[in-house]
Amino acid sequence: MQPDQPDRRVAVTGVGAVCGLGWGIPPLWAGLRAGQPGIGPFQRFDHSQHRTHLAAEVEAPPATLARACPGWRRLSIADRFALFAALEAAETAGLAMPFDEDAEIGVYFGSSTGGMYESELFFAEFLRDPRRARLSALIPQQVNAPGDAVARHLGVTGPVVTYSSACASGALALGAALDAVRSGEVEVAIAGGSDSLCQLTYAGFNSLRSVDEVPCRPFRAGRAGMSFGEGAAVLVLEPLARALARGAEPLAVFAGAGASCDAHHMTAPDPSGAGAAAALEAALADAGLAAGTIDFINVHGTGTPLNDAAEWQALQRVFGERAGGMPLVATKALIGHLLGCSGAIEAVATVLCLRHGELHPVRRDGEADPELPVALVLDEPLPLAGARAAVSTSLAFGGSNAALVFSRWTGPAA
Amino acid sequence: MSEAAATTARIKRLIVDSLNLEGVRPEMIEDEAPLFGEGLGLDSVDALELVVALEKEFGIRIKSQEIGREVFSSVSTLSQFIEGRT
Repeated sequence: MQPDQPDRRVAVTGVGAVCGLGWGIPPLWAGLRAGQPGIGPFQRFDHSQHRTHLAAEVEAPPATLARACPGWRRLSIADRFALFAALEAAETAGLAMPFDEDAEIGVYFGSSTGGMYESELFFAEFLRDPRRARLSALIPQQVNAPGDAVARHLGVTGPVVTYSSACASGALALGAALDAVRSGEVEVAIAGGSDSLCQLTYAGFNSLRSVDEVPCRPFRAGRAGMSFGEGAAVLVLEPLARALARGAEPLAVFAGAGASCDAHHMTAPDPSGAGAAAALEAALADAGLAAGTIDFINVHGTGTPLNDAAEWQALQRVFGERAGGMPLVATKALIGHLLGCSGAIEAVATVLCLRHGELHPVRRDGEADPELPVALVLDEPLPLAGARAAVSTSLAFGGSNAALVFSRWTGPAA
Repeated sequence: MSEAAATTARIKRLIVDSLNLEGVRPEMIEDEAPLFGEGLGLDSVDALELVVALEKEFGIRIKSQEIGREVFSSVSTLSQFIEGRT
């Protein structure tokens, strides 16, 4: 950086998450390092009539959380996830809550289905007996409800927005938050996503036959689809200079974001990978980083035959001969696909990998796919203390692509 | 049981059934305890649902201006209101 230019770098100073591996960052990182999937049988709703019977379901919340949150019983499961992750992120960032009314803080959230699960409960009850159906079950049905719940409970009075572009929602929300912090629109951004298991998405992806009957196997031979997950993830973003001035320890630098659309198909990715590559290149340009500085990738890696093949094409377009040796981290193999939150929780996973100097593995399920000669991190954590920067990709239905670049925080002298 | 006591018991049952209050049984609700804020801790959404439930249960109409603190302040005041309408 030139000394005469203002420092526009944005730091990640707090992270929070809940997923099938547990409530909080400690169980998330421990589970990711262990490389054992949190995907298994689940109880949320009757899935006996579906093709598949697995999900990474979140266990019941800690009792202390309900007591700490007024209006708890009005919140959907997705709202509760969001609230927990936001509180954890704000706490690790060392932010005093609730925020002052004049603090310039915004919430940037992603969700695919908001309170859909609760709406389904209402509808089922209504069909059984309209007199017993309680309209209040519909209160948290809006897709913006999780982000709104975060704002309400934390006292955020700046911009509060929700992005809903399928599985790119979380990553797009983070990109918007990055822009808002850089431009000075907000001093601090609470950015992330939340989605809960619901019958709409469970049935929908099953009817598309894009769900595997066993825990998903990204980039492996014989992979047959995704696995469902649920949860929330939140990152606290602020100008690096502000973080250092208040004595906060940056967990990573959020260096850049990019987005694109395949303009190809409602659900299938463009097999050429051109759209995904465009998002990756836009993110690198936004970060001002050359492709050669990226040392690992947290892939979208759903485990569907089409996604992983198209993503491999995109990686070759952007990283050329390096693509085959580039360590790939496939978080969905362990926590499932969190849909509108996937980009946010994989951003958290990426930050944790940079922070801890090691890449989390996935289980060695079956054989490598000879068509996809990738360097997937398998079995054991891969030490990579010198990793300079990493990209996390989100490649969604509708051809919506987003890529986020994070770089390792190496101290004020860097 | 007097008519007023029967109405009071029906209201308590209705509150628990129609508002789906976790861990609350009808006999735990005191006649004079506040329904909103402190006490039972109901909110404005509960008020709306309770109006609908009371109208169905007792065959009465509750005009919006009556949904005030006075009538809805406790089971006892609700009971008096309903007794006066039926």
